[in-house]
Amino acid sequence: MSFESEVVALLPVLRRYAHALTGNAAWADDLMQDTAERALNRRLKWRAGSNLKAWLLTMLRHLYIDQLRKQHDAGGHGSGMQWRDGEAPREQVDGLLLRDVQRALYRLPIDQREVLLLVGLEELSYQEAAAVLGIPRGTVMSRLSRARERMHSLMSEDGAGEPKQPVLKVVRSPR
Amino acid sequence: MNDDPAVDAPIDDEPYRQALSALVDNELSPKECAALIGRVAGDPSAATRISSYRAQNSALKALFPAGGGAMAPLLIARRPGWTARAGAAAVWLGCGLALGLMAGWLRADFGERPSFASDADLAYAVYAPEQRHAVEVPVADEQHLLAWLSKRLDRTLSIPSLREHGYFLLGGRLLPGPNGPAAQFMYENASGQRLTLYITAANGRPGAMRAMHEANGQSTYYWVDGGMGYALSGRAAREDLRSMAVDVCGALGGRPEIWR
Repeated sequence: MSFESEVVALLPVLRRYAHALTGNAAWADDLMQDTAERALNRRLKWRAGSNLKAWLLTMLRHLYIDQLRKQHDAGGHGSGMQWRDGEAPREQVDGLLLRDVQRALYRLPIDQREVLLLVGLEELSYQEAAAVLGIPRGTVMSRLSRARERMHSLMSEDGAGEPKQPVLKVVRSPR
Repeated sequence: MNDDPAVDAPIDDEPYRQALSALVDNELSPKECAALIGRVAGDPSAATRISSYRAQNSALKALFPAGGGAMAPLLIARRPGWTARAGAAAVWLGCGLALGLMAGWLRADFGERPSFASDADLAYAVYAPEQRHAVEVPVADEQHLLAWLSKRLDRTLSIPSLREHGYFLLGGRLLPGPNGPAAQFMYENASGQRLTLYITAANGRPGAMRAMHEANGQSTYYWVDGGMGYALSGRAAREDLRSMAVDVCGALGGRPEIWR
């Protein structure tokens, strides 16, 4: 497969990840487009044989962070919460209501959300996720573990939406 | 999820929690795995975690299926040099996407915003709220409007229809711009929301469609093609505006094979 067709084949993956990260379909489309364009224009920087998916996800993430920062500087939406698309289906998967999972996902701090999505959704190995995020493998492990525990506790709350107890239990600052 | 509070109490032992995560992700060595299994066997809260973490993964996959939803057509601009040169416009098709090759993409200024995009954004902000003078020439005079603006921009213009999206042409006006005259066409839908299509000469390199989003909800999608800059501005939901911009671009680009 040529480089271009491999990139094209991964576009749905980029779009899915961007959608999950931003919670906004149109923003995801923009990010996918920017990433694809950047990838095609920087193909010389691509080392054949290395993980193309991780390379593309890394680029997408940098673009996302740039855009978040610009939006923040422009006095726009900072937290990302506002960008959530409408309600998720009420459908249940493995005993979890998707709506509750979606709600909990966007209550995670962004650094926890991205590691959870890279490993839990995109099925990257810890090593690959560490490369995408530019952090040590050990940090991937601790963030991921915090993300999952936080999701777990958010969803154990009644309906996950309006918790009876304060949501924050024990929050240690990372590192 | 579980009625027994002991089972659901937070696990404060961080390395233990990390190991449970790693078990779910198949990241443990056989030795670590064997050691952990022994501990988990006598610990219902660990079993709860493992099934909860697994359920989270499945739920995320259900929430965000790959290839879910219709793929918007994409225009990817590229620098000349890697295969065919400019002019030999090849098209790749994949996943409902078209990657068009375009000439003249240089480099370095990735993401730099051409001035016409900001001008279009500003012109929208100025004229869209106008009640009595939203346009100079109303749609009743469409032939005149087209002839006049085509003459001033020195190019045969056409006005794409946005009826499918519920927007109807109100008319247009001529505006001054740094690269000569600019045309602004205004559309309105049944609830009074307005869009503008801004067209002017642009020296920029042909490129992919880009977006700028203002904090007030106003967005502009813009692109350059054939020496002209185009911008669609409005306050519609991003996804709606984007798909309209794609349609407009297809209708105006003169090279729909790049888009479809």
